[in-house]
Amino acid sequence: MRPALLIVALIVFAALLGPFLLPYDHASIDWDSVRVGLFTDGHLLGTDDLGRDRLARLLVGTRVTLSVALAAAMVALVIGVAWGAIAGWVGGRTDELMMRIVDGLYALPFMFVVILLMVVFGRSILLVFLGIGFVEWLTMARVVRGQVIALKQRPFILAAEAAGSPARATLLRHILPNVAGVAVAYLMLTVPHVVMIESFLSFLGLGVQEPLTSLGILVNEGAEEMDMNPAALLLPGGVLVLLIASLTIAGERFRDRLADATK
Amino acid sequence: MGRLIARRLLTAIPTLLAIIVLSFVLMRVAPGGPFDGERPLAPEVRAALEAAYGLDKSLPEQVWLYLTRLAQGDFGPSMVYRDFTVSGLIAEALPVSLLIGGCALLLASVLGISAGLWAALRAGKWQDEVLMLGATLLTALPTFVTGPLLALIFGLWLGWLPVSGQNDGGSWLVLPGVALGLPVTGAVAKLARAGLAGELGADHIRAARARGIAPLTILRRHALRPALVPVASYLGPAAAALLTGAVVIETVFGLPGLGRYFVQGALNRDYPLVLGVVTLYAGLIILFNLFADLIYGWLDPRMREG
Repeated sequence: MRPALLIVALIVFAALLGPFLLPYDHASIDWDSVRVGLFTDGHLLGTDDLGRDRLARLLVGTRVTLSVALAAAMVALVIGVAWGAIAGWVGGRTDELMMRIVDGLYALPFMFVVILLMVVFGRSILLVFLGIGFVEWLTMARVVRGQVIALKQRPFILAAEAAGSPARATLLRHILPNVAGVAVAYLMLTVPHVVMIESFLSFLGLGVQEPLTSLGILVNEGAEEMDMNPAALLLPGGVLVLLIASLTIAGERFRDRLADATK
Repeated sequence: MGRLIARRLLTAIPTLLAIIVLSFVLMRVAPGGPFDGERPLAPEVRAALEAAYGLDKSLPEQVWLYLTRLAQGDFGPSMVYRDFTVSGLIAEALPVSLLIGGCALLLASVLGISAGLWAALRAGKWQDEVLMLGATLLTALPTFVTGPLLALIFGLWLGWLPVSGQNDGGSWLVLPGVALGLPVTGAVAKLARAGLAGELGADHIRAARARGIAPLTILRRHALRPALVPVASYLGPAAAALLTGAVVIETVFGLPGLGRYFVQGALNRDYPLVLGVVTLYAGLIILFNLFADLIYGWLDPRMREG
């Protein structure tokens, strides 16, 4: 867990603070040094075709990708927890219906739906994460529902009900705090997934738009000039893979520990 | 088994209908239309075109018209690629997508399952740790990074394999297939390992061991099939996704597959083309999920329904 979390923390810190430490921002053009190599004219990673500092673009791109991913994962968290908790708590026909809907949505060609959403609602960054969050809540809903159903049988919940605790209070005070751990574990696993989707959309030109940048856009730009300048592809691609891998490892460890703890 | 199939097919119909109607409405809410080109058309021409494609009717009427046609197996004409039917375009693109996806699927199942099983047999040892770390890294490889990277290394630097378009031999398939298959391989390996490791700890395996049955026989006769259930449940939908086109891979390697037609269709507002691809894809997901369920029954008789 430690090395993975450390890498995540390093990337997050670099993305948050890095841009403030650089004399260049990601969109401004340095006319005197257009397309220069590594460590030239004060540009650590050089500049691109338009004379924009590659390091600044990499840091800002990482920041944008991370924030979109976090926001989308939160959307998925809210919908998923609410949906799953209600289905599990109410049970019976409502549960049956709500879970049938989730099953049905699983059959959606979901990559196509995201693409369709992006095409339909324009390409604002707000809609990028709303759209992704909207297709990513299904697993969360299933997991939370299972957890709530298991909790409902536990003695302390039965005791709360026997003591006359109103349903709302039981749900908010006793059920939800106990769901929180699992929800956080799946949130941690949703984030790398969303990072992947966001970059994928941006790669196709359907996600984040210029002058803003994201890891997906940088990979796309890098792929176009990779024969002359492989670093342009390797750097953003490497950061992206590192980020997704370490987030996944950290999330899985957390989930497995939680499962061991509740055994 | 017959009942399972029948029930699935019955629930598939409303799901498919809902998906079609949803996509139909989504497409229509989008600003712009298939006839908005660089130059605006004369109003009469535009009206004539819209009448020819039935766009002048009300939305419910259009949906109904589409569905009745679809029921007869007709996806309608493409509105942007004039003189082409959607069925024709799909018939052209589908084989390309199926080939790439089939390669990726083959790689993922063979390599993923063997790596996963081997790791489970070495559970807790270093081979297990290394393989599982490798598998996690593989799942973290986005196709739009590996695609260009593989093209760079094996195409441009080493010159071993073609990087764009198709050729007569099968060598054009290698790079797209591998790039598409790698993340799935990682996921399959993880699931196969978890499945077999869990199964090896089960009571009936311990009992078999206590009876002195050879480890290989235990694996083959008792542990293997139930251990692969999670793999089957993952591969069902994953296969549908792989086989129907990976938009990015087709873009990177310049291949005329379904995914590219879909994105182009969505951008051009080619309503029938987009609907056709979505319908085909949704149908395939449902079909592959059904396959997965049938395979469960074979792998683990406890999951057979009456």
